[in-house]
Amino acid sequence: MMKNKKLFWSFLIILFWQVISMSGTFSSLILPSPYMVIKAFLESIMRGELLNETMYSLIIILEGLFIGTFFAFLLALASIRYKIMEDFVETLIAIAHPLPGIALLPLIILWFGTGRTSVVFVIIHSALWPILLNTTTGFRTIPRIFTDVGHNLGVRGIHLISTIYIPASMPFIISGLRIGWARAWRALISAEMIFGAVGGKGGLGWYIFKQRVFMDTAGMFAALIIIVIIGMLVEDLLFERLEANTIEKWGMTVK
Amino acid sequence: MNDFLKAVSISKTYLNENKKLKVLEDISFSIGKGEILCILGASGCGKSTLLRVIGGFERIDKGEILICGNKVLKPSADMVMIFQDYNQLFPWMTVLENVLFPLKVNKIGASAMQRIEISIEYLKLVGLEDFKNYYPHQLSGGMKQRAAIARGLALKPSVLLMDEPFGSLDAITRSNLQNELLDIWRKTEVTIVFVTHDINEALALGDNIIVMDKTPGRIKERIKNFQERPRNRRSDEFLDLYEKIYSMLDVQI
Ligand SMILES: Nc1ncnc2c1ncn2[C@@H]1O[C@H](COP(=O)(O)OP(=O)(O)OP(=O)(O)O)[C@@H](O)[C@H]1O
Ligand SMILES: [Mg+2]
Repeated sequence: MMKNKKLFWSFLIILFWQVISMSGTFSSLILPSPYMVIKAFLESIMRGELLNETMYSLIIILEGLFIGTFFAFLLALASIRYKIMEDFVETLIAIAHPLPGIALLPLIILWFGTGRTSVVFVIIHSALWPILLNTTTGFRTIPRIFTDVGHNLGVRGIHLISTIYIPASMPFIISGLRIGWARAWRALISAEMIFGAVGGKGGLGWYIFKQRVFMDTAGMFAALIIIVIIGMLVEDLLFERLEANTIEKWGMTVK
Repeated sequence: MNDFLKAVSISKTYLNENKKLKVLEDISFSIGKGEILCILGASGCGKSTLLRVIGGFERIDKGEILICGNKVLKPSADMVMIFQDYNQLFPWMTVLENVLFPLKVNKIGASAMQRIEISIEYLKLVGLEDFKNYYPHQLSGGMKQRAAIARGLALKPSVLLMDEPFGSLDAITRSNLQNELLDIWRKTEVTIVFVTHDINEALALGDNIIVMDKTPGRIKERIKNFQERPRNRRSDEFLDLYEKIYSMLDVQI
């Protein structure tokens, strides 16, 4: 239902775009027609270049998300285990969470240069804090009854975390992952683009930047399409499936 | 052995934003193994608190809970609580998994197969075997409580603590569940402490009934209920006891 509506509107938008570009109001350097974009899209995929850059971006974001999620869980666990860590983590979140990853770029370039490490660092920063914030909120707001029942049934220590705390906080954890992903994905593209400007190499952001230098407007649009598709796939498909298989199945959605 | 489970002058104060609220004062009782004790009292008189204290969920100011002479310090699988809240099943586990889980945790049963058999046996006991693959949110309130009872019983605890488990159910479902509980009790010989504010329920279930006073919660009266089981809820004996307890509660409310 939802998907069909989106398809329908996308189709209309593309049609409208095609009409505008056929009317000749704008030069194709400013606004290439959908046809040209699709041609550029297919060509660059044939050349393998666009796919390579996409893979580059995807691998780097997975790496960053993985490390970010790992540390987010580590800190969240520490903060429910030790009161002193709870205060520390809370302060850390208050300081770091409002800071956009991109605002840190000049500093990161200063520290790590414009290489891959810096991009990974930006992704970790973008993903870690929202995931941590949501996870700790989830842990802290677990209904008392679940922990009471857990204690009563003899569940102790690390087992309590893995079998009760984590599933009971699933709505929070998933929304943390969603926000973390969205922020990291946007930060990644921006970082690659800015690094492209200062001599970095690789990734979708960099590809867009490079096509601008070549005045390949259609190629820029082709990369944008990939970015949109990946965003939709992850946000609409991956996360929706994850929710359908967990919190929706368990009747734990807040809706 | 008439003091299998024993409470010795329990007092409990809650601290609410620096205000002290004395909820329980000097509560003592003792019951024998396999007996049913009903705790009866008006809303807010401290019944849940008392049950939580018995189960080791709460710190107390004074007194102690003894089971076979051993002090209860924290919750354990030997004394399982069925909470007042219907949402005590883990929503991320199916009914079967809910029952299976504590067996796994406590390493009961020799193999995974055997644990599943035990779980199904207890689900049969509460009449839920057909719903074993349901998630809790797909069950009715009464079914949820029955599943929680199965989960508790599968651990073969020596005491079952029940906090108004059939609280907001309709009268018919309620008396059906009471009879079911008596069946189960007969089969398992588990000792039960049952909290309720329903006089009929207390009279139908309890061997002993404690009537509680309010603020602070104190024992107002202990009543021995010698009626033979199955109990006839229309018998003179039943109705006399009902009147007696009713007048007791009436005076204080
Ligand atoms: N965790 C708590 N912290 C502070 N005060 C509490 C807490 N739990 C209960 N109380 C207070 O203790 C008193 C007794 O509460 P309790 O839940 O034991 O009553 P109850 O007899 O079970 O009532 P009901 O029949 O409505 O369930 C109430 O005044 C309540 O406000
Ligand atoms: Mg209560």
